[in-house]
Amino acid sequence: MQTTRPTLGDIEQILQALEREGYIADREIATAIYLSIELHKPLLVEGAAGVGKTEIAKVMSRALDTDLIRLQCYEGLDVHTALYEWNYQKQMLRIRLEEGTDRPVEEKEQTIFSEPFLLRRPLLQAITHHRAPVLLIDEVDRVDVEFEAFLLEVLSDWQITIPEIGTIRAQHVPYVVLTSNRTRELSDALRRRCLYLWIDYPSFDKELRIVLRKVPGISQRLAEQIAAFMHLLRRLDLQKVPGVAETLDWSAALLRLHRDHLDRVVVEETLACLCKHHEDLRLVRGPWLDAALAAIAEAQRDGEGWDRALARAERTLRA
Amino acid sequence: MIRFECGDLSAHVVGFARALRERGVLCGPGEIADALQALSRVDLGDREQFRLALRTTLAHRLEDLRIFDALFPVYWAVHPTLTERRESTPSQTTSEGTGGEGQVAVRQWLESSREAEGDQEVPGYSAVEVLSRKDFSAFTDEDLHEITRLVVAIARRIATRMSRRMRRAHRSHQIDMRRTLRLHLRWGGELAELAYRRRRVRKTRIVLLCDVSGSMDIYSRFLIQFVYALQEAVSNVESFVFSTSLTRVTPALRSRTLRAALDRLSRTVPNWSGGTKIGTSLMQFLEGWRHLVDSRTVVVVLSDGWDTGEVEILRRAMREIRARAGRVIWLNPLLGSPGYQPLTRGMQAALPFVDVFASAHNLDSLRQLEKTLVVGSRTKREASRGMP
Repeated sequence: MQTTRPTLGDIEQILQALEREGYIADREIATAIYLSIELHKPLLVEGAAGVGKTEIAKVMSRALDTDLIRLQCYEGLDVHTALYEWNYQKQMLRIRLEEGTDRPVEEKEQTIFSEPFLLRRPLLQAITHHRAPVLLIDEVDRVDVEFEAFLLEVLSDWQITIPEIGTIRAQHVPYVVLTSNRTRELSDALRRRCLYLWIDYPSFDKELRIVLRKVPGISQRLAEQIAAFMHLLRRLDLQKVPGVAETLDWSAALLRLHRDHLDRVVVEETLACLCKHHEDLRLVRGPWLDAALAAIAEAQRDGEGWDRALARAERTLRA
Repeated sequence: MIRFECGDLSAHVVGFARALRERGVLCGPGEIADALQALSRVDLGDREQFRLALRTTLAHRLEDLRIFDALFPVYWAVHPTLTERRESTPSQTTSEGTGGEGQVAVRQWLESSREAEGDQEVPGYSAVEVLSRKDFSAFTDEDLHEITRLVVAIARRIATRMSRRMRRAHRSHQIDMRRTLRLHLRWGGELAELAYRRRRVRKTRIVLLCDVSGSMDIYSRFLIQFVYALQEAVSNVESFVFSTSLTRVTPALRSRTLRAALDRLSRTVPNWSGGTKIGTSLMQFLEGWRHLVDSRTVVVVLSDGWDTGEVEILRRAMREIRARAGRVIWLNPLLGSPGYQPLTRGMQAALPFVDVFASAHNLDSLRQLEKTLVVGSRTKREASRGMP
C-alpha cells in the first residue's frame, strides 16, 4: 500500500487553507483535520444539523486539490449501491451477441464478470482512484448495523473482495470523513476506528465572521445584529434549533429586503427562514422578540463588547 | 516548537486515559497509541494544541467530550508527577446529591447477586409458578437467582418474537439481478427464471428509560436485569436510567455478564436511589438524544410517576416524545397493586401522551410486554387516547 499523500501543512496552515476556501473554522476543527491527515485515520464528525459537517469534506478536497467521492447513506443502503454492481444491460447484450458462438459457458461467464462489466460505486471508486481522494461517508448513522460492520472492514483493510474478480487493494488510502446526525448510536468499534470531532453551533464571533464572509454586501452593523439574534434565539427552547444554513438564508433575505437593522416588523416577515415549526414561531413572536431586540439594540449602542452584552441579555431574557 | 520525547509524558497520558476509562470513556491501547502519535505531531508548548490532540484521539462521542472537558483541567492542572496523580484525580465520579449512597446501593446488589450465583440449588417447577405472580417487592434474596433466569428468558423470547414478526410483515421481494443473469447464461440466453432476493428488514428500535430513584428501589433492581437481558438479546436497544438526572447506560449494560454490567453502572450512574425529577430527566434525554426517536421507535418509560420536579416540564417532555415516537409505553410497577389509581401529579400529566399504560410489577406483566413492543401504526383508539 502506497502511503504518499499530500498534506495541508500544520494546524495554522490548515486554518488558512480552510479560510481561503470560504470555510470559517476554529482550532478544534483544524486540529481534527490535521490529525486525521497526519495519522491516516478517518474523521468522524458529529453535530446538529446545519453546522457544516458535510462542508468539511468538500473544503478538504478543494484544499488538498483532490477529488471528492461521496457516499450518501440511507436506510437499506447495501453493498450493490455502495461498492459495486454488475452492468446487467451490458452483460445481457454480450450474452445475446455471443448466442451463436460455441464458446464454452465458463468462458462466456468469465467475460461478462470481468472489469469492463463492473459499475464502480463510491467505495470502489475511492479505493481504485489514481490519487488519494477525500471519501465522504455522509449520514453514516442511517445505515443498518450490518452495513456498518462492512464499512468498518473496508475502513480497516482498504481492500475489497469481489467474488468473480478477486481482491482489490487500495492504491492510495483515501482521506475519510464520516458525518453522523446521531439518529442511531454508532457502534463503539466504528467510533474507535475514527478520530472524533463534535461541531457545535458557532460562537457569536465565528458566526459573525461567517455572515460577513458568506453574504457579500452585508453591513457590519446588520451582521452583528444577526449573529447576536441567532445567539439568543438558540438559547430558547425550540423544537428545531436553526443552524448556520438558516442564518445565511435569513441574512440573504434581509439583504434582499434592503434592511440595515432588525426590528419587529422585519423579523416577523422573515421569521419563516429561521423557524420551521408552528410552536417555535409562536414562541419567538411573543414578548421574547421585543426583549431580545431591545437587548441587541442596547448592546450595539453602548459598545461595551458583545460577549458581556450577550451574557447580560441571556440573563434578562431568562428572567 | 517543542517535540515530545520524554518517556514521562507517555506515562501521564496512559494515566489520563485510565482515568477517562474509569469514568466510562472507551479508550484502550489503540487510543493511547493514537494520542501519543498525535502529540508527536503538535506543538507541545501550546497547551491548546496539546488539549485538542488528546481530545480528538481519546474521545469518541459527545458524552466523552463532556467527561474529557471536566477531567482535563483537573488532571493536567499542575505539572503532574506519577506520585501526585492519585491526589489530582479523585477516583469517584463527580456526584451530585445522593450519589455516594446510590453507589453503595448498587454495590449491595452486586454483592447479593454474587451470593445468589454461588447458590446452585434450583427451585422446582412449582416455584416458577409462584414466582410469576409474586410482586417483585415481595422477593427475598433467595429468589434472586431464579428470577434473574426467568427475566432473561422472557427478554430473549420477546426479542425473537419481535424479529419473527417483522420478517413476516415485510415479505416483499426484489429481483436479484446478479443471480438471474447467471441463470440466464446457463439457459443459453433466455430469461427462464427470475432469482429473488429478500428486502432488508426495517427494525424497530427500543428506547428504555428506567427510573432508578429511591421510590423505585425495590423494582429497579429487577427492571435493570430485564433491561440488561433485553439489550443483550436485541441489537436495537438504547437504555437510560434516571433519578434526578439522566445517564445513558447502553455501553455499561453491554458488559459480558450482569455482574460486570452492575459494576460499571455503579461507577457511571452518579445518583442512584436519589430523588426523582422525571420531567427534567426526560428533557435531558430530548436534549441529548432526541435524534434517537423517530416513527419506528418504541419509547418505554419504567417509572412509578412520583415526580418531585415541575409537572409542566414533564408534560412538555412527554408531548414531544409522543410527537416523535412510533409508540410510547409507560410501565408502572404500582399499577399492579390493588386499588392503585394513577393519581400522582406526574403520572396524570404524562398519561395523555402514553399509548400503552401497563404494569411491570411481576414476571407475568413483563411477559405481556411482548405484545406491545412491536410497533405498528397507532390504532385509532390509541391515537384518540393519546390526544391531550
